[in-house]
Amino acid sequence: MDADKIVIMMTSGPDTPRRCATPFFMATLAAAMDYDVTMFFTIDGTLLLKKGLAKTIFPKAGGKSVEEFLNEALEAGVKMTACTASIELHGLAAGDLIDGVKMVGGASFWQMSEEAKNVISF
Amino acid sequence: MGKIRGCELPDDLYYYAEKHIWAKPMGGSLIRVGMNTVAGKLSGGKLNAVTVRTKNIGAEIPAGKSVATVESSKYVGPVPAPVTGILKRANEKLAADPNLAITDPYGEGWIVELEAAAWETDKARLLSGPEGMAAYQAKLEADNISCE
Repeated sequence: MDADKIVIMMTSGPDTPRRCATPFFMATLAAAMDYDVTMFFTIDGTLLLKKGLAKTIFPKAGGKSVEEFLNEALEAGVKMTACTASIELHGLAAGDLIDGVKMVGGASFWQMSEEAKNVISF
Repeated sequence: MGKIRGCELPDDLYYYAEKHIWAKPMGGSLIRVGMNTVAGKLSGGKLNAVTVRTKNIGAEIPAGKSVATVESSKYVGPVPAPVTGILKRANEKLAADPNLAITDPYGEGWIVELEAAAWETDKARLLSGPEGMAAYQAKLEADNISCE
């Protein structure tokens, strides 16, 4: 039996650090429950995938960085996708993002949503 | 009770050492499963939740697939099935006190019970007995894990 799919749309970014832990935590948790999890980064969420940036963002002072939450999700098997239009919004190129991120168009989000059991947005 | 690098690891249990899970035959093909003290150490010492997906009760879970998830402030991760089997029940006591899985890992803090599909053959993949415990010790040394 194929695993149920979940899509997590991530729009929060460096301006709202406190919104940048739970989405990764929930993704990791879902992967630990054997869901097939894809995160779709768009708007400011895409900035979290910029090389080196996530380690400078702390949802809680003195706590784990966003990079640690992100790496836990990657290690758990969460797939990371980024919206091509959003990297243009921020003047980035695909090569500016961390390894392992797949660039996808907006229509891919709808395709993933159609196949998913649940879609949530942060 | 056996002790390896400060971690209590009873030598009458079977261990899925990759994820620090124990398995214990309960009679027939019923197998009780829990986290061992190494997993407790790695999770940071205080669990906020141990959750079993309700839809999985009664379903066959292949070895290595998740039967439960554990959450602490430091860690979130799966409790994989040590052997293939039908998930029979979850330990209801963990709903009220998830930390039992760490404070009494081999007693009241067991996590699930499985009806093993082929325990006699599958158990060969788990570590047990003097040889198994020696292999477990080597793994903990290689991974630089200690409970002390």
